Amino acid sequence: MKSRLACIAAALLIRPPLAAQYRVALPGYHFEFPRDYFSHRDFQTEWWYYTGNVKSPDGHRFGFELTFFRQAVSRDPAKTAAWDVEDLYLAHLALSDLDGGQFYHTERTNRAGPGIAGASESIGRIWNGNWQIQWDAGDQKLQAIDKRFELRLNLHAEKLPVIHGENGVSQKAEGPGRASHYISFTRLATSGSIALRGKKFAVNGTSWMDHEFFTHQLDSNQTGWDWLSLQLGDSTELMLFHIRHKDGLIDPYSAGTYVDAQGKSTHLRADDFTLQPLEEKWASPITRATYPVHWKIVIPKLAIELDVITPLKSQELTGNSKFAPAYWEGAIVLTGRRNAQPLTGVGYLEMTGYDRPVHLAP
Amino acid sequence: MPRLLLFYRLLVRPLFQEPVRAALIVLAVALGVAVVLAIDLAGNAATGSFRSSMETLAGDDDLEITATGGVPEDVVGVLAALPYSIRVSPRIEDFAVIAETKKSLPLIGMDLVAEGATYAQSESTNTAEGSARPAVGESFEHLGDLDSAWVSSSLGYKTGDRLQLLINDRESAYTVRGIYPDSNGKESAIVMDIAAAQHALTRYGRVDRILLKVPQQPGLDQWTQRLRAALPAGVNVRPQGAGTNENRRMLAAFRWNLRLLSYISLVVGAFLIYNAISVSVVRRRAEVGIVRALGAARFAILTAFVGEAACFGLAGALMGLPLGRFMANGAVKLMATTVQSLYVSSRPGPIELTASSIFFALAIGVGVAVLSAYSPAREAAMVSPVEAMARGRREYDTRVHKARDFWLAVVLGVAAAAASRAPAIAGKPLFGYLAAILLVAASALAIPAFADALMSFSSRVIGGLLGVEAMLASRSLAASLRRTSVLVGALSTAIAMMTSVGIMVGSFRETVVLWMNDRLPADLYLRPAGNPAVDHHPTISLDLAQRLETLPGVEAVARLRAYEISYDGIPATLASIDPQALRKSRRSNFFSGRPIEQVFAELRDSNAVIVSEPFTYKHHVKTSDSITLSLGAAQATFRIADVYYDYSSERGIIIMARATLLRYLPDPAPSSLGVYVAPGTAVETVRAELERAAAGHSILMFSNRDLRAEAIRIFDRTFAITYALEAVAVVVGVMGIAGALLALVIDRRRELGLLRFLGAATGQVRKLILVEAALLGVLANLAGLIQGFALSLILIYVINKQSFGWTIRFHWPMQILLGALTVVYAATILAGLYPAQVAVRLNPLEVVHEE
Repeated sequence: MKSRLACIAAALLIRPPLAAQYRVALPGYHFEFPRDYFSHRDFQTEWWYYTGNVKSPDGHRFGFELTFFRQAVSRDPAKTAAWDVEDLYLAHLALSDLDGGQFYHTERTNRAGPGIAGASESIGRIWNGNWQIQWDAGDQKLQAIDKRFELRLNLHAEKLPVIHGENGVSQKAEGPGRASHYISFTRLATSGSIALRGKKFAVNGTSWMDHEFFTHQLDSNQTGWDWLSLQLGDSTELMLFHIRHKDGLIDPYSAGTYVDAQGKSTHLRADDFTLQPLEEKWASPITRATYPVHWKIVIPKLAIELDVITPLKSQELTGNSKFAPAYWEGAIVLTGRRNAQPLTGVGYLEMTGYDRPVHLAP
Repeated sequence: MPRLLLFYRLLVRPLFQEPVRAALIVLAVALGVAVVLAIDLAGNAATGSFRSSMETLAGDDDLEITATGGVPEDVVGVLAALPYSIRVSPRIEDFAVIAETKKSLPLIGMDLVAEGATYAQSESTNTAEGSARPAVGESFEHLGDLDSAWVSSSLGYKTGDRLQLLINDRESAYTVRGIYPDSNGKESAIVMDIAAAQHALTRYGRVDRILLKVPQQPGLDQWTQRLRAALPAGVNVRPQGAGTNENRRMLAAFRWNLRLLSYISLVVGAFLIYNAISVSVVRRRAEVGIVRALGAARFAILTAFVGEAACFGLAGALMGLPLGRFMANGAVKLMATTVQSLYVSSRPGPIELTASSIFFALAIGVGVAVLSAYSPAREAAMVSPVEAMARGRREYDTRVHKARDFWLAVVLGVAAAAASRAPAIAGKPLFGYLAAILLVAASALAIPAFADALMSFSSRVIGGLLGVEAMLASRSLAASLRRTSVLVGALSTAIAMMTSVGIMVGSFRETVVLWMNDRLPADLYLRPAGNPAVDHHPTISLDLAQRLETLPGVEAVARLRAYEISYDGIPATLASIDPQALRKSRRSNFFSGRPIEQVFAELRDSNAVIVSEPFTYKHHVKTSDSITLSLGAAQATFRIADVYYDYSSERGIIIMARATLLRYLPDPAPSSLGVYVAPGTAVETVRAELERAAAGHSILMFSNRDLRAEAIRIFDRTFAITYALEAVAVVVGVMGIAGALLALVIDRRRELGLLRFLGAATGQVRKLILVEAALLGVLANLAGLIQGFALSLILIYVINKQSFGWTIRFHWPMQILLGALTVVYAATILAGLYPAQVAVRLNPLEVVHEE
């Protein structure tokens, strides 16, 4: 689950749209692919989220994040000219030069316009300007151009997409429709190149893709969350999140998914795991927020115990408008054990609501 | 030091004794310098600092993408997806009129979603850039509201105000959502989100321009090539602001001609300085002789006289500076009017008196003075002491050279005729100017012979007619032939200029009037309200045009659609018409002489166009040539079926059939309509009918006669600056006459004193001087008229044709010429009044006593 802040910030800025115009995520949704890889105009919010850990042949490690957001603004049937704003398309791009100790991030906002941004099944593309995912014979080709760096990666799915939650919905709060439809490609074999400040690296590694769509999802007493995607050395994956309340308690709708080596997924409820921040903190020089950058994960029913650290502490994305909260999203490294066997892995960690509470209700 | 002393005693002291004469000379130079400076300054302000008003909110973009009729909007998506780090900023641009103030402003539709976010991002690093835009929060908040507008602060609105805007033929209400500063020399504009602008202008499927910011590497040319490869054929990539340069190029000939016109006052001034120094030399011949006899070198004499002229020049130039700056205010207004009605809409920039323009003014003031004084000063230096101290030979030299000068004049005249046949060089009629200069020189050389012949004739006749005073006056002029010639030369140059420009403008006007009779066949014309301009073409809703066709009493409605395009790097107008000639005109308006039906049939049936005469001149094309136009996404080649005479604009015009243009640019809204009233129906009845039908649209309706009157009014306004320049030259010429007559009087005080002593009444002396003035006037008018006629031929058939490409039929504007010449003549005689008064006040006893 990734309730992307930029989207919500944008939603706050535009006149509150009638949520009633949009469909909500209800149990029993029947997924169909490739249709559900692309846009769902009848839902208000949607995103496609790519993160990955790659390294060059000489061991130089990188993390990357490329996300596409769609936030519906208007469904006025009278406004259908090319420039009319039906949706805002936002996108975030970040590159973590883990061995160079640098973090680069940028973002853009567009309307669909005449082909400027979109997520179209007919051309198999999700894009925002020259940041794009092009579906090509089952693979996803990622391209992202920034003036400082460029990513050109081929993502090959080693497992089928996983549907999170139960009965087609990932519930986020009490009440019908307070949920999302949420799928992931948990293991994408990744190869390609990264150009950084004029230098080109051939890279290989693993990526993760999330795609989620919903309308009106969270509660007003939920102030932030922590989310992880973990790709383990034994060809299994884990997705875990917990939602924090104002009073510091963890929301009972926090959840997770375990994917075994064959691609079979198991839903994890809030009481199936613990996600514990340890002492080590990183204070952002820009937002003054303090993020826990060392976590401990325990999942008794899978006999998994993991220690989460990051090779680069400064992986905070600061929004460009005073309305958009900052968040920390970065590459992580895992060490631990399963059934007393050593276990390692890589993944991505997202932490929100640390600079100030996230106001989720419009 | 001794040289300075000589200079002071010989030259400066006499000046103080004749302050009026000195003042007149200085004033003449001042006027000449002022006019040149004013035109230079005004030219810079009205055209040089010219910036297309659409550049108001252009940032640091490097390139722009344009296409005739607009860039297909998909191009924006294509560019945005290119794997380069470029910033893509689409624009939908036009003009809107604030209904309240009737002020016409650029309407700029920009992508406030993308640009708002981008500028918010850069706000931390570059606040100046960010703050000139509508703020991001505001733009997101009213994103969905199509009535949102952002205006610049100088317009005086505040957030939340309502704003009535006239866009094309519709007036709509907008809400001011924010104000952005336009203080730093930026022009006011109305900003909308690109979606709102698209709806307001009903411009679907196309954007007007795409601005691009590209990385520095690998250079603009490389980027241009890369981008061109990604774009459809009809779409152009060029450096951002190239339109400004194109406009400058288009205006170059206009500025150049105006500048040369301004030099005429200076030439007239040069004659006067020449005259003043000549008088000074002649009068001080005896002193020069004495000084030489006392050992002064020739060079010292030369320097002294040249120095005198330089002082006149410097004093005049110094006076001319503030005067020129002041006159520039008026000149800018006049020039801006011309630029607006003939070339392009622009607002003049501020007038800037730079160090270089000050230096330029001083340099021409002193330079002209020194150049024109050199010859008389040299003569002063040449006199031998003995000769100078004797009297009576002073006019000898001029008499001797009279015949030689006349033949020289003939040679120069022939050279002028030859030069007038040479073609333009780099679009400038350099040989035309050469011909004009040669002609002025030839006239100057021919004037002694001319004046001598006329004076010897008049002294025989005039005595009987006007009495003995007149005969004396005539003989006196003939006797001092050099002075007479120079004076006549100065005034006749001014008159010649006035006459020639008068004939040219008069011919032009007559040509336009005749042309309009053929050109405007419809009974009523409709166009969207708002300020007309040559380079933007608001449209009328198609449904209105269709509705008008069905009204009773309407025989037909002709639709014209115009687009602003760039052809070969120069702005031009592309228009389409309904190729059905409803009414035959008496005369063919085409080069080929074919009737209009025949030409239109060709337009209808083939991929052909007709072009205006200035277009053929600018682009060196002729009938049957092919031209390639970028239209929308395509490039298409058209044959030139014919060339038509056009005087409506100096820019080139290409016309094709409506159906042809619609194939490439499918926007069917017309820019203007011509309504033909059915035979037997009163125009006024139909007009009332049309007005009812057009209720709710902001449309201006002109009857055929209104439109002609309007066109002539614009024509006259356009040439206002020309008239103003002429007037100044004539004032300088008349002032010269006054100054010269004054010198004459002072010079001849002995003679006049003697006449008085011998019993001449004060009235007779006054008459003598006034008749001299009158004779000078006649001479100058005659010489000027002849010279002016010849110059007008060069202006009409060489300079105008080569600069602008207009065919003008020669026409004598008799009324204007007679009126102007009478005024000049009266002014010449009036100029004699003060010297006559001085002559009358001479004390005969004192004078004879001196003798």
